[in-house]
Amino acid sequence: MRTDAYIPDADGFYEAIIAANEGLTEGESEAFLLRFALLLANQIGDQQVLLDAIRTAREMVAGTPRS
Amino acid sequence: MSQEGLRPAETTGSGYALPVFPYRRPAELAGERRRHKVAVVGGGLAGLTVACDLAGRGIPVVLLDEDDTVGVRGASSRGIVYAQKTLEIFDRLGIYRRIAEKGVTWSVGKVLADDDVLYSFDAAQGSLSKAPPFINLQQFYIEWYLVDRLAELPRAELRWRNRVTGITQREDHVALAVETPDGPYTLEAEWVIDASGLASLIRGALGAKMAAEQGEDRWCISDVRFKKSLPAERWTWAKADFNDGRAVWQHPMADGVWRLDYQMGPNADPKTIADPETVRDRLRRHLGETEIEIVWVGPYGYRTQLMDSFRQGRVFFAGDVAHVMNPFGARGGNSGVQDAENIAWKLAAVLTGAAPEALLDSYDEERRAAGAHNIHVTTRTIRFLAPRSPFEHRLRDAVLDLARRYDFGRTLVNTGRLSVAFDYAGSSLTSNGGTAVPNVPLTLPDGSTGTLSDLLRGDGAIFLVLCFAGAAPPALPERVARVFACNAAIGGLPVLRGAALDRLGGTGEVLVIRPDQHLAARLVRPPGAAVQAAIDKALGKERAR
Repeated sequence: MRTDAYIPDADGFYEAIIAANEGLTEGESEAFLLRFALLLANQIGDQQVLLDAIRTAREMVAGTPRS
Repeated sequence: MSQEGLRPAETTGSGYALPVFPYRRPAELAGERRRHKVAVVGGGLAGLTVACDLAGRGIPVVLLDEDDTVGVRGASSRGIVYAQKTLEIFDRLGIYRRIAEKGVTWSVGKVLADDDVLYSFDAAQGSLSKAPPFINLQQFYIEWYLVDRLAELPRAELRWRNRVTGITQREDHVALAVETPDGPYTLEAEWVIDASGLASLIRGALGAKMAAEQGEDRWCISDVRFKKSLPAERWTWAKADFNDGRAVWQHPMADGVWRLDYQMGPNADPKTIADPETVRDRLRRHLGETEIEIVWVGPYGYRTQLMDSFRQGRVFFAGDVAHVMNPFGARGGNSGVQDAENIAWKLAAVLTGAAPEALLDSYDEERRAAGAHNIHVTTRTIRFLAPRSPFEHRLRDAVLDLARRYDFGRTLVNTGRLSVAFDYAGSSLTSNGGTAVPNVPLTLPDGSTGTLSDLLRGDGAIFLVLCFAGAAPPALPERVARVFACNAAIGGLPVLRGAALDRLGGTGEVLVIRPDQHLAARLVRPPGAAVQAAIDKALGKERAR
């Protein structure tokens, strides 16, 4: 999983996410994020990268999951 | 299979007429002392298959069943989907033709969400086997055909109404305590295969360890006949508005009966969900106004069970006794048949002196791995079908949403991954084989048409060696292997012809195929000794050292 800066226009990306969620309820934003995550996962197409990203996100929120 | 009625709340409608098999007074009760080679306990799918396979290999076998018919609790049909590998096995055992005539052959499946078809598949695409991908048939018909076939085999003895009540393992045999209408007797056998199902007495009596888990998910089967015409396909709804947003299965089987299986709420009360009026109402919402005849209704839950070891001394465990999983993927019955085939050829090899007893250890190694794999696969399915948290629900909604539009979303929709032959790639019996070799159609050396499995019939446990153009003919003892050339003349070897053969191997290759039609080795221009070594490895001779 790469963690160096790779998004070409970071500010523009952040702005676009915010704009896309403008006026959405919390539930709708969660629905947005889930679809966004799944669409991105299919772009990655590398199982190890996906598993690394899942593990990292989980650890950042609440530590290591039971498995 | 793994479905358990939770209560006897099932309804028997216009059921089926099942055969009753005669009880005969066992020879032991007439004072005869016998030491059987192999005793099989349990006349279900796995038990009958293993008996049939052993007897077909010339190994004497006695099968004990506590009942005197096939099927379970009257008309319930349990398993219905028989997958390609299973059909290939049944072809070798000689009951395929009857299954194909009676059952519903199908290959197209559709996955739906409410009114949308998310995707459809045709499992016949790319299949090399002569067997179709699937035939649906009530399980008791298969059992019935196996019983009929066993009656033709001189090496097999079926003992109905013989209930095993105890077991003692001895140094060189097993003693089974058996109860009959004429009283109790002791049956001695060198080897025992316990195929007596998920509540096995033998497993308990031997203190064999097992991991078990009971789920909260509840389903209700309705086997019905109706006037409306539907395609002979497998339709699965991940969610259906006519079932309160829960999953639904729709499958045809023999006698014009359809299996409709409805997911219920978690921990739903079996009495309520199988209530006749509730059932009729559910069927109307699904099928609309049509004349409906209810054949059988069965509410069920399912559990997951896996024995720590599929072998205890001289006893092997096959089928539901060894592994239980949810039914989504048809992996229960189909894997039981594969258990049966696996232990049958190994016992035949050992009992004919072709292999050391160490080969028998590989039954646990190979089939427990298959059981664990099937449990893993079916558990993933149920996690999709029965989300456990609000998050899992929303994740699944996102997947279904994406699946309506995009191919990649469809791959995430999981309404069951249908049974395929297990790949023994990790087995100690092989270094580069393991996959099941499809039962390709071919022209035999005598000019008649047949399939690969025709070459595997006969006494003992015979290997098949297929040589492709450019390979040298290996010299092997006839009682170990049958050697053929494929679509080429190779040093006087008998020649098999057929376009599909060239999809199995290429120039210079030699395929060593086990008696269960799994690949033992794929070799390129091997010296004869390498072919012999691959066979020795597949017979457990390395394990024995």
